[in-house]
Amino acid sequence: METNEKQLNETQSLEVIQQMLNKVKSGIEDDSFYYIFWGWLVFIAAISNFILMNMNVEWASAPWFLMILGGIVTFFYGMKQDKNRKVKTYADDFIKFPLISFGVSMVMVIGFSFKLGLNSYPMILLTYGSWLFISGGVIRFRPAMIGGIINWILAAASFFVDFRIQLLILAAAVLCGFIIPGHMLKSRFRKNIQASQA
Amino acid sequence: MFKELDPLLHSQLRLAIMSLLIGVKEAEFSFIREKTDSTAGNLSVQIAKLAEAGYIEVNKSFRDNYPLTTCRVTPNGITAFEKYVENIRTYLQAKK
Repeated sequence: METNEKQLNETQSLEVIQQMLNKVKSGIEDDSFYYIFWGWLVFIAAISNFILMNMNVEWASAPWFLMILGGIVTFFYGMKQDKNRKVKTYADDFIKFPLISFGVSMVMVIGFSFKLGLNSYPMILLTYGSWLFISGGVIRFRPAMIGGIINWILAAASFFVDFRIQLLILAAAVLCGFIIPGHMLKSRFRKNIQASQA
Repeated sequence: MFKELDPLLHSQLRLAIMSLLIGVKEAEFSFIREKTDSTAGNLSVQIAKLAEAGYIEVNKSFRDNYPLTTCRVTPNGITAFEKYVENIRTYLQAKK
């Protein structure tokens, strides 16, 4: 777009608008990393925990220490993303508050469930479900919303089974709610970039 | 009866800038330049014209000791853009 005052006809005007709206889509950050990274991390931890428990290993819960590593990686990745972010969308704001509420709920569920003598996994799935359903709705990404509904159903089911099976349910829940939607989000992002370059 | 198209928006680069900003909360100058494929000088001039008309807000600050310019569309800009699109549609329908 080199000319300073290039005049347009009506059709060209609509083309410019359409072209720019497509380019905005491709300029929005790819947030699929969080879904994919945390999805695989929890999946690996849950399956490893299940295998180690079946092998009667004393430190069967050790894979959950991966979550600390996940927190550190996410912190630095988020900082880097924030620094490189050239555009802010309204969805960023809308998603911030559900994310805070998800984080607070998660910390309380994981930290204090034992006080009631409860196993926390059903509540974790319930919280995952709420987060996925809300965040999916905000960014208009149906796979995350469906993932949220699946997490709610699996949360209900996990109230009725023992701890070992809950681990498998948790792995299935993150597969449906985080890993699969995360890869679909990444693919949608790539398609948007290709469309804007076409 | 056709309404006159807003001359400020009926120019390729200014319309492109507005179309970009309408879909986001705010965008950096470098983002707009990259997406509109324009030169920095030309873009600055057109941004200044839109800002002068009250269609966009320009915020100048610093990040890591480098100047940072961000732009966002104003409520006036949104109204003008919507009106422009509506008028274009009217023209196109009349042509059919």
